Amino acid sequence: MTPVDTTISLSVVLLAGLIHASFQLSISVLTLMSGHALGRKTAHHRLMDLIGGYLLGATVMVVLLLAFIAYLFGALFPGQIPSIVWVVSCSAAIGVGVSIWLFYYRSQLGTVLWIPREFARHLDSRAKSTKSSAESFSLGLTSILSEILFVFAPIVLAALVLIRLTPDMQLLGILLYAVVSLLPLYIIGILISGGHKISHIQRWRERNKRFLQFAAGSGLLMLGIYVYVEHVVVVSMLGGL
Amino acid sequence: MGLAVDVVKRSGRRKTEMFDTDKLSRSIHSACLSVRTPEGQAESAASHVTGLVTLWITQKPAVTSNDLRRQVAYHLHRYHPDAAYYYLHQRSIL
Repeated sequence: MTPVDTTISLSVVLLAGLIHASFQLSISVLTLMSGHALGRKTAHHRLMDLIGGYLLGATVMVVLLLAFIAYLFGALFPGQIPSIVWVVSCSAAIGVGVSIWLFYYRSQLGTVLWIPREFARHLDSRAKSTKSSAESFSLGLTSILSEILFVFAPIVLAALVLIRLTPDMQLLGILLYAVVSLLPLYIIGILISGGHKISHIQRWRERNKRFLQFAAGSGLLMLGIYVYVEHVVVVSMLGGL
Repeated sequence: MGLAVDVVKRSGRRKTEMFDTDKLSRSIHSACLSVRTPEGQAESAASHVTGLVTLWITQKPAVTSNDLRRQVAYHLHRYHPDAAYYYLHQRSIL
């Protein structure tokens, strides 16, 4: 693999991470958890512990998911990845992208997402009762899993691209994906720890929700089409020559 | 303290319950603290708004929890707009 190929692959991982970053469920849960903790007069250092635990949980789950899916693909397709796998993954990304355009937010005020209501109720009640950093760590893990319907597409594409890299570049790719995809969560965590009001953060999120929805949907569409052209169309054309 | 007014819960899934001024006051107080209002100001806002909402609710046999939420937010907005926003929207974050 040439340095140019490596750069292109890492750029695809970066774009997948950016798309993941525009998903909002884990940010909503962090906002809720912090709001409830402040409402209970939680001391500042305890709030920092809760936020730290939550961020660590979310980071661990993203790294585990990406590493697991990449390992699975590596084990299933030790040589070259079959075209059908690329086609299915790209189609899934395009499908999820269109679904995000149409369904991501529910048609009501606020930032209510189109996730199963049972999941939402569970996360809501856990966010309310989280009092220790171990619980917030577990909530961070759960919140990433709860948006698996949406994050699955960028993670799968990133994993498929990653397994073609050298082991050191794979590690770099996983770290790059984790940092980029969780950057908004870290920023919100820092803002809340720094004394920003939850209401201001929530207002900003509500004002910009349609933009974030459009960006996530369009990003997935572009990523799906790009990967399809690069790994299916170009490969089949070269194979025919 | 409970008043003889039924509060019909959201979506009608849960049972109705008696209007409880203490519970209302606690929820307003908590919303104020969530937006980093100082303790004294939170207590004062909770006490004033609870009084105004209690006055409004005693003329009614039953209210929905959504109506109650909107009424609290309306009065709380005068004392603390950020807390009113958070109180009204905290159920629509997730």
